[in-house]
Amino acid sequence: MSQEISRRDFLKLGGLGAVATMVLTGCGTAARYVRRTPYTKMPEYTFTGQSTYFATTCRECPAACGLIVRTFQGRAIKVEGNPNHPVNAGKTCARGQATLHGLYNPDRIQGPFKRSARGSEQITPLDWNAAIQVVAQALRETSPQGIAFLLGMAPDHLFDLVSDLARALGAPAPIRFGALGMFEARATLRKATQNVLGQDGLPWFDLGAANVVFSFGANFLETWLSPVAYTRLFSQMRRGERNEKRGYFVQFEPRMSQTASKADEWIPLRPGTEGWVAQALGKLIADARGLQVAAFSGVNVEEVAQNSGIEVAELQRLADLLMKARRALVIPGGAALAHTNGLENAEAILTLNALLDAPITLSPLSPFGDAYHQPASLQEMAALIERMRRGEVQALFIHGANPVFELPAALGFAEALQKVPLVISFATFPDETALQADYVFPDHHGLESWGYQRLATGSAFPTLSSSQPVVVPFYNTQATADVLLAAAAQIGGAVAQALPYTDEVAYIQARLSPLLEQKNGFFGAPEINTFFAYFQQYGGWWKTTEETVKPSWENAFNRRLQVKAAEFAGEGEFHLLPFISPVLGEAGANKPWLQEVPDPTTTVMWNSWIEINPQTAEELGLQDDDVVRVVSDQGSFEVSVYRYPAIRPDVVAIVFGQGHTAYGRYAQGRGVNPGQILKPVTNAAGDLAFAATRVRLEKTGKKRAISRLESILGVYGEH
Amino acid sequence: MEKTLTIPEYKADWAEGENGKWGMVIDMDLCTGCQACVAACAMENNISFVGEEDAGYGRTMHWIRIERFWEGTYPEIRMTPYQPILCQQCGHAPCEPVCPVFASVHSQAEQINLQVYNRCVGTRYCANNCPYQVRVFNWRDWPRPAPLENQLNPSVTVRRRGIMEKCTFCIQRIRQAEDVAKSEGREIRDGEVVPACAQACPADAIVFGRLDDPESRVSQLANSPRGKKLLEELGTLPQVTYLLGG
Repeated sequence: MSQEISRRDFLKLGGLGAVATMVLTGCGTAARYVRRTPYTKMPEYTFTGQSTYFATTCRECPAACGLIVRTFQGRAIKVEGNPNHPVNAGKTCARGQATLHGLYNPDRIQGPFKRSARGSEQITPLDWNAAIQVVAQALRETSPQGIAFLLGMAPDHLFDLVSDLARALGAPAPIRFGALGMFEARATLRKATQNVLGQDGLPWFDLGAANVVFSFGANFLETWLSPVAYTRLFSQMRRGERNEKRGYFVQFEPRMSQTASKADEWIPLRPGTEGWVAQALGKLIADARGLQVAAFSGVNVEEVAQNSGIEVAELQRLADLLMKARRALVIPGGAALAHTNGLENAEAILTLNALLDAPITLSPLSPFGDAYHQPASLQEMAALIERMRRGEVQALFIHGANPVFELPAALGFAEALQKVPLVISFATFPDETALQADYVFPDHHGLESWGYQRLATGSAFPTLSSSQPVVVPFYNTQATADVLLAAAAQIGGAVAQALPYTDEVAYIQARLSPLLEQKNGFFGAPEINTFFAYFQQYGGWWKTTEETVKPSWENAFNRRLQVKAAEFAGEGEFHLLPFISPVLGEAGANKPWLQEVPDPTTTVMWNSWIEINPQTAEELGLQDDDVVRVVSDQGSFEVSVYRYPAIRPDVVAIVFGQGHTAYGRYAQGRGVNPGQILKPVTNAAGDLAFAATRVRLEKTGKKRAISRLESILGVYGEH
Repeated sequence: MEKTLTIPEYKADWAEGENGKWGMVIDMDLCTGCQACVAACAMENNISFVGEEDAGYGRTMHWIRIERFWEGTYPEIRMTPYQPILCQQCGHAPCEPVCPVFASVHSQAEQINLQVYNRCVGTRYCANNCPYQVRVFNWRDWPRPAPLENQLNPSVTVRRRGIMEKCTFCIQRIRQAEDVAKSEGREIRDGEVVPACAQACPADAIVFGRLDDPESRVSQLANSPRGKKLLEELGTLPQVTYLLGG
């Protein structure tokens, strides 16, 4: 199709464009021009008393689950899973369900404005023409090297557009960041795969095909990579759908997470010894089978037993379990990778699979033939912060990320931001980073937006998930893609030539046009309008054939591996183990119903808590709800105690996701942010070693009750 | 069997159990405790959130909650399997005979415990008598700041202060499926009615359907030797079956 298409032409095309378009999509492409009108002039797809359903993609995390949103007379009523979608097959998680409380959040940013001073609530509203002027001027007058784009982990079409824009300007490529990526230690998993297999990509662990699964810290039932897809596989494993027998699951980690609570065995090993345990298991298996595996050859099993706290006999039993399994799988993830030796841990754990015929493949590329662009590691974020601190960044554009809240405070993002003369945020919600921006030009909510999303992992089928507005934008917001395109047109010259699109949809259609020629999709169309209509209607485009990459394990057998001891920062007697809230995730705290959904393991609602072994608590004279000061060498905060029966005595765990200082009435001033006291040390892959900080606890003598569901059920007599 | 699956012309014609028994099976080996059902239920049924303080006093409005208990002490500690608890839709319900105003009544047609909101005067006798603690009371008119009201589901009544409420097996979805089936002149297909919790469940641990149809998935699972009723010894005849063990 022509890449230069005016709105008028487009509407004509849509109208003529055939009966197919009109009939097959509920909403049709014309929806992007729909404005709120009196109900006497309702859009044609709205029937009184009838619901209309739209397919789109969830933006609560970057896993790209397909949604079907029920709307009723222009309002979004209920989120349901898209039954045909390759990632979630009709299912959703709690965060996906609560996305409507984001859409209709009372604290959303309602229009573009200029802040009188950073951090100030005093604002001057602007109109969108002025906003586009500001963006165009910033892009034109800043030297290309002084421009920085910081984007979130979704949506992908915006990332592609900003990449094109940065290229046209000669500016550095955009950087992607999200706390989920940080807590998954994604860069570590990818680097370990590269090192062990010599192949690039994120591994796809097919739990459903395994009958014994060992997981080292991977919280795949909570937030890890693609939790809804992994929960489906877990269910297959437990049903024994693809194996005759129910699968057996063992989780190794210092604190029983929600994932570990579903395990048949939870093995609380000493933090940082995960790699050694994997090596010891590998050595026992290799010896029993008379194999030589370089990565495991020099391992002393007794020494590992002593260091990890798992006895030799126990290690032998676990190794036998793996050996006897018809198909075993070992998964590295989460806190096991978040130590200073995290990369080596990941490599040792991954290498163990070489002995097991494990059902691991590498996630397929997107239908475009490229991979999902992974978020930056902490090291890469530190490099950006250093550039900001040195004054090399004159204009920072932020969309979809909240680094002021999410990054460890010690990294100094907030201070470095002060050195940037111009900060423009495209935030939908008034988060901490938007509060420090000079201008805020709010993007639509995900359910009001166009877009597409690649999969980082989550399906064996190459998939592009589609987004479309399910409701007309509620406030005076503007798609960031449209703002940038309009700004590019104002700049003119080479930049305008590089982005010759009238609006966001034109850009998306231009990007999609190569897919018209692909033959193995589950639908095809002769021209882009029909293709785009199907793309909206079905919630995306995916191939009908699996295209995962087979791993080659040869390299793994000969590769030597030295796992060093993990190093811990600080003098305290406890390891601090932050974990991302299974319910709130990184950005759920502003949704009131998510706040009231109890944490699965503790049943706590609406606040933060620190988990401590009841025995240790008794020795320290601590009761539930006692407020303690948690002190690391980076700082301290106060939080209530929760005596958690399934945690090592030398570990305290704290939830990440609360502790906002902005972000609306439901998030602000609630709980604490463990990022405040984390030491920003990294592992060899550059990911944050978030489990490497040691802390001590100080009594404050205060008490602050935490709200939890379990107290009404009478678990503890005293409540 | 053909007869019992027929939908009568007038609802008043329904005899007890004639229009089926709706039931649910929850596989506790599959439930991951992820709370997707809890959130989905709240979104579908216009359930209010109560805020931190009232939640701490046990006034949350969850129609479904996930229970778990601890066994033993560290390091020999185990968590009992997550168990989603919702109204068990008892065939012999303790909540019904105690209601002075007949707000808590039994539906003859679907064999479901109904709560008639506009009869309820808030005595809370029903909740006191419920052994499963699944009835929740509106202690206040819970705030729902604008524009959150845009999300309210028009198929479900919005409750106010002083009203008792509980899980309805998403009766609005059952009714809708009945109407659609009737207008198309056919029976309801197995799997056609899916309550919000079962629809969201990523592990597919919740199965819903007609217990009076021996061919339905829910009937087959309910007859599994793993099946147990909650507090079976009370003789409440629950319509929810839990599958224990693996």
